[in-house]
Amino acid sequence: MNEQRDDKLTSAARQLATGIKPQRDLWPEIELAISEPVPRRSRWMPMFAQAAAVVLLIGASSGLTYLAVKDDAPVVMPRLTPEYTFERAAFGSSYTLGSDYLETRADLLARFEQELEQLSPGERQDVEQSLEVIRGAIDDINAALEQDPGNTLLQDLLMKTYHEELNVMRKVGGVTQSVMSRRDI
Amino acid sequence: MTALLTAETGDNIRSMVSRTATAMPREAALVSRARGGDTRAFEALYREHVDRVYGLCLRMTGNVSEAEDCAQEAFIQAWNKLGKFRGDSAFGTWMHRIAVNAVLGRIRKSKREQDRIQAVAQVASSPASIGDSGELRDLSDAIDRLPEGARHVFVLNAVYGYSHEESSDMLGIAVGTSKAQLHRARRLLAQQLKEQGFEA
Repeated sequence: MNEQRDDKLTSAARQLATGIKPQRDLWPEIELAISEPVPRRSRWMPMFAQAAAVVLLIGASSGLTYLAVKDDAPVVMPRLTPEYTFERAAFGSSYTLGSDYLETRADLLARFEQELEQLSPGERQDVEQSLEVIRGAIDDINAALEQDPGNTLLQDLLMKTYHEELNVMRKVGGVTQSVMSRRDI
Repeated sequence: MTALLTAETGDNIRSMVSRTATAMPREAALVSRARGGDTRAFEALYREHVDRVYGLCLRMTGNVSEAEDCAQEAFIQAWNKLGKFRGDSAFGTWMHRIAVNAVLGRIRKSKREQDRIQAVAQVASSPASIGDSGELRDLSDAIDRLPEGARHVFVLNAVYGYSHEESSDMLGIAVGTSKAQLHRARRLLAQQLKEQGFEA
């Protein structure tokens, strides 16, 4: 009984049209798509930037840790370049550079300026190099984010790097105030 | 009558074989030219195969707009993958495989399958029945109402004549699953058609 039913169904199914003409010509859109060069998203740059940033951050953290434990004398911040373009980040929708961050950073910068003269040339150079490394990483990540603004991994990494910059300032300047949450830096 | 049908069938088969024999070298030449970047050659391949590719997409999705998107996507993917086409199978079979992937990819990406089922239930005659007539239209509509897995297997196996091995490979499922889905499809179709008074 079932076999008979299946045979009839199969026989009927085989008579169904296998070729159906589309109601409109699909070719013009296909032609347009295949005529345009395929935009090859460079994964190299974001990946390079991410890897570079991680390496640089590890280096910076190690340098600062070394400075912090080297002696008990208070470490004073070097002169920082106020014109540094730290707001340039091409964030996606997940993050914003909040006013808290900007105020905290300005406050920290002022303190560092006051203590600048107390640094020995060697210490000063170490700290400057650490901050340079972090800012280089920020620039690299920003450049990568301009290419790929929606990359949440990069956004996250940029946030961490900004935090790292603040941490450096706090550690070196002895500032203990807490900073804002991760998503509203 | 039987003799006439047999003669007609024989003629059809001979004609099909003849067309296939002449089409194969031409198709291989078109593929070769398209692989070299000749979009005119690819357009000729498109014109040759679009009806069967679109037909498969329409029967699998049951939605004109989705089927158009899938067919377009399949041809664009085919263009990008032409370098990988080794000619082990016919170009049409290769295109079907890509079309099935395009359909499955779209279904995975979107949640529109539920909407599609609801839409199909509301529409008396489905767009997939285009090209079918009479009782076949009922069957076509009934296929459209099948659950996704059963529908895909039934379309590939029963309508397009792929084996369980071929259809399971295309759909990324086990051969046993394909057999089970076909059985389920037949049972559901028989049930639906009986309710409509169509004797399967």
